[in-house]
Amino acid sequence: MVMLAGLVVIGALVWLVRRRQGGRTEDTWPGGAPREGVAALAAGPALAESRAAGRIVVRGLTKDYDQIRAVDGLSFTAEPGRITGFLGPNGAGKTTALRMLLGLAQPTAGTATIGGTRYADLADPIGRVGAVLEASGAHPGRSGRDHLRIICRAAGLPLGRADEVLRATGLSLAARRPAGGYSLGMRQRLGLAAALLGRPQVLVLDEPANGLDPAGIRWLRDLLRAFAAKGGTILISSHILAEMQQLADDVVIIASGRAVAQGTVGAVTGSLAKGGTRTLVRTPEPGMLAAELGEAAEFAPAGPGGEDVYVTGPDATAIGEAARRAGVAIHQLVTQQPDLEAAFLELTSLTKTEGAEQ
Amino acid sequence: MKPAIMRRLVAAELMKVRTTASWWYYLAGFGLLAAGALTNNWFSHHYQLHPQADLPDRAQALAAAAQARTPSGTAAIAASMITSGDFLTALFAILLGVHIAANEFAQRTATVTFLTVPRRGRVVAAKVAAAACAGAVFWLAATLLNGIGTGVFLRTEHLSGALTGVTAARSAGMALLVYVLSAVAGVGLGALIRSQLAAVITAIAAYAGGFALIELVSHLVYDLARQGWVLGLPVAAPPLADIVMTSSGSAFPHAPPPWAGAAVMAGYALALAAAGTAAIRARDVS
Repeated sequence: MVMLAGLVVIGALVWLVRRRQGGRTEDTWPGGAPREGVAALAAGPALAESRAAGRIVVRGLTKDYDQIRAVDGLSFTAEPGRITGFLGPNGAGKTTALRMLLGLAQPTAGTATIGGTRYADLADPIGRVGAVLEASGAHPGRSGRDHLRIICRAAGLPLGRADEVLRATGLSLAARRPAGGYSLGMRQRLGLAAALLGRPQVLVLDEPANGLDPAGIRWLRDLLRAFAAKGGTILISSHILAEMQQLADDVVIIASGRAVAQGTVGAVTGSLAKGGTRTLVRTPEPGMLAAELGEAAEFAPAGPGGEDVYVTGPDATAIGEAARRAGVAIHQLVTQQPDLEAAFLELTSLTKTEGAEQ
Repeated sequence: MKPAIMRRLVAAELMKVRTTASWWYYLAGFGLLAAGALTNNWFSHHYQLHPQADLPDRAQALAAAAQARTPSGTAAIAASMITSGDFLTALFAILLGVHIAANEFAQRTATVTFLTVPRRGRVVAAKVAAAACAGAVFWLAATLLNGIGTGVFLRTEHLSGALTGVTAARSAGMALLVYVLSAVAGVGLGALIRSQLAAVITAIAAYAGGFALIELVSHLVYDLARQGWVLGLPVAAPPLADIVMTSSGSAFPHAPPPWAGAAVMAGYALALAAAGTAAIRARDVS
């Protein structure tokens, strides 16, 4: 009889588990990004009371794994009120550097501080820094809401804060579903929601736009701009260089664990040998134009047929004047601004070449 | 460390346990094993009280049955039944402890956990406390099931009073310690071994295999040395330490007293928790 009672109890428990799992399938992802949530999320009361409190300073950061040096004497600063892009090819050491900054990996040498303090020593870590290092970081069998409520509980935040950030990130309808069923974009939003729970002053984001649809990317861009405008510090790594060119104020480009360029986006792209301003010229007689411009101009083919060329050196006015003097017809003359993608590719390929030569 | 911080960290760890389905699976498996152990114990004691007619040493069995119906014999039956199979079901407390620690790495939730609370020693301490609470819940479930079963058995066999006696209460109290220490040892093991699967296999192998190995070694040594105390050494194996702790009399020939079993289990729990904490502190979270 006792055995039978035990089996009945176990059967009831299994039925309850199945019911809990099956009952969470009715919600659907709403789709469009809720732009009204941006201001609420970015307007945290903890934002920039003093500039120094939000400054990220990395000095000589180095990490060795066995015989491999993943990060090699990396130094940079990310300032409050600015969005700093952290760029590098796969395996360049970006994620390792961010993990060291956030106390998740122990540096072999060097320091990384936020407001002059190591992350591990911050009194209220998620009240100072919000971080997304992998999409959501939630247990696949746990609901998004429970995931956030657990963080709230551990950090001493009111549990209701979880519902606030879920609403602001457009996840309310999916909040009670297991996170394992979320799309990549939804998991990114859940990660961002977790990062924003403590109304932090600093955001550290690793590829936060992965999996977001165009509306989501725009929502993220608005959020980060509003956050920086309030004085927040943002350090963001991304492979979407066109997006970073629009978004970032400063960039740090790393390759093979070392910083190969840093500064404002304009300064980095403008300092390049091949990635600076150039002019696209369409003319039936590029040879005559080249002769008129002389050695100061560098010509490179811009397409098949030979009529389209890139001219580096003289600006569009000088090219037009030279064409007039030489009697050369010009069918198109377009000035092309410095390009972060070109800068990235040139700087990272230079490092690869140096590495190969060594 | 401020008590308020620890309270909220333990509450967060308990939320982690109860907000996934795994907890229910552990409890269901535990319930099944507990019910099986109680049933086995029921029949064992029934045949102790009613020896079969074809037993070769029936006279001895009848004497044992008569002794079992005395107050001390009934108290021993009650103590045995209320802790039915605890040495087996405690394995579920160990496995749940392993789950609480190692699942963070298996499901890659450790990053968020240590971003929220970067002081890792506090996190492990909270996991230990949460596992101890979960172990106590296992004990409560087992003791309720066994208590009901024992009450019905004693009534059926026309034996009374033993369930509320000191002997049964002491065994049940020791069983609580078994579950709590087992769960704490599980957390230590799960923290020490990063792979959850490897930690689970190690726990099961050490629990079952360690018992067999130490039994074998102690008997081999006894054959050489002929010293009685050697036969008490198997208490170093957790399942036998559990039995020694909860047994109302001598659990096996030359068995040490219950406190020795408790000391063994406490030693395992403390050593594994300390080693697990050190490992978690030193480990890069990726």
